[in-house]
Amino acid sequence: MAKHWFWWFMTMACVVWYSTITIYVTIKGGADIKHMLARLDVIREREVSEEKEG
Amino acid sequence: MTKFNWLLDGSIVGVYLLATMVAGLMVRRYVGKVEHFLVAGREMDVYLGIASLAATEFGIVTCMYTAQNGYEKGFAGSTPGILMAVPMLVVGLTGFVIKPLRDASVMTIPELFEKNFGPRIRWAAGVVIVLGGLLNMGVFLRTGGQFLVLVSGLDVKYLEIMMTALLIGVAAYTILGGMLSVLVTDYMQFIVMSAGLIVVTILILISVGWANMVTTVETHYGAGGFNPFINPTMGWQYVLFNLMLNTAAVLTWQTTIARVLAAKDTNTGRKVYTRTSFFFVCRFLIPGVWGIAALTTLGPMANTLEAMPRYLSNAVPPGLMGLLIAAMLAADMSTDSSYMLTWGSVIYNDIMAPFRKTVWSEKKGLFWNRSIIAFIGVFLLLYGLWYPLKGDLWTYLGVTGTIYLASMSVLLIACCYWRRANSWGAGAAILISAVIPVTYLVIEQLPSTAGLAKSIGPYYSGIATYVLSGIAMIVGSLLKPNSSGDLREGLA
Repeated sequence: MAKHWFWWFMTMACVVWYSTITIYVTIKGGADIKHMLARLDVIREREVSEEKEG
Repeated sequence: MTKFNWLLDGSIVGVYLLATMVAGLMVRRYVGKVEHFLVAGREMDVYLGIASLAATEFGIVTCMYTAQNGYEKGFAGSTPGILMAVPMLVVGLTGFVIKPLRDASVMTIPELFEKNFGPRIRWAAGVVIVLGGLLNMGVFLRTGGQFLVLVSGLDVKYLEIMMTALLIGVAAYTILGGMLSVLVTDYMQFIVMSAGLIVVTILILISVGWANMVTTVETHYGAGGFNPFINPTMGWQYVLFNLMLNTAAVLTWQTTIARVLAAKDTNTGRKVYTRTSFFFVCRFLIPGVWGIAALTTLGPMANTLEAMPRYLSNAVPPGLMGLLIAAMLAADMSTDSSYMLTWGSVIYNDIMAPFRKTVWSEKKGLFWNRSIIAFIGVFLLLYGLWYPLKGDLWTYLGVTGTIYLASMSVLLIACCYWRRANSWGAGAAILISAVIPVTYLVIEQLPSTAGLAKSIGPYYSGIATYVLSGIAMIVGSLLKPNSSGDLREGLA
């Protein structure tokens, strides 16, 4: 471990970082999808009403 | 003999596939315009971007080659991952190229080129991007199928049928929902893929043991298994070539750049790059560890590409096997959907641009975009699955990738930061970056010149392509007489 500390450190960093980011992105990414679809809904409704008025 | 259990593991895979298809198809109702279809209405936020970029850039083909790198080169084989993470981080922090690109509000890279280099270069760049991208992607399906067949223990005669069914499913939600479906399914696929990758890696580290893997690498490759500079199959030229290749990919690879273009603003695009950068180390090191574990457990094998899946088929227990296969299916589906959409976007936006003399209705635009994706799906089936590829796969991927990446990175940097850059320079850079790799491939195949190709090596040839492509841009641009058209303001 001491001899090849760089690759040991990188491997452990990958496992820890990847586990953490997966949980974080799962939570925050779900919220991103919700907001994105809500914004697209608003835009779509606005365009439909503009078309009707036009 | 594989440990795949059809009831337990098959159910896990079935539930995953069903959930993905349903989610992908559900968002199609939000697609009303071409902009929604190609760049998700530019509404993508940071964490969805991270999930989508990570899922797209990790396919089964990636897992196979990075594991092969670990098997053949030891830990040093993961060096390209570090060489991609560093440029990704630097580009994200500085906004180099991606800031002017996103600020220009274009949908593809060639669209930006038209502003500085004219419509002909836009069209030529579109052709180069699509050719390089599609030929590169052409081998994904078969390689992915090989992995799944080996790990699950399916009869190899079902490979084509299984991958055809998978492609039809992916094409269905991509055609209907475009980038919106891609983003939503990428998110789900990121979760499944990441869970599988992490759990299997922890299992391997515990069962094989770090000390055993280090000893195996020392025994087979000595110090070169840890240090790419002294590895006889790598060296400084390997490191430099991979740095150039990966930097160019960070700047111009259409599927990566598509996340910047779909981001809700420039800062979001930059954050996606910065926060995803370390994933590219994981992308090489995690399958690399799987490859080293295969070497430790199975010993040397003739077919180094198949070592990792053969090892996993026996090392992963039932239940976890279902998660592994679902993870790999997720990896492959997210890559396929995104690749079909982004190469399709270049065909529609740039190659078909000369044919759109009048403004097309959104309905017509959507119809053509969907048709193009369907055509790409058919191409992938015919070329990548039903047509057996001959020759060395690495050389094939390297050549097709370099033709695209060398010219497009030079054009993009010049377009953003050099006002004197013009169509002559752009044309010369495209020509040079196509001629060198193709010439290298030809002299490698001819018996009379194969020795010469071997003495040059693919890395020197690759480095020369990037350097000479840059020189061609400078010389070509300086040779063209100044005109009012060349004095347009730069973008940066």
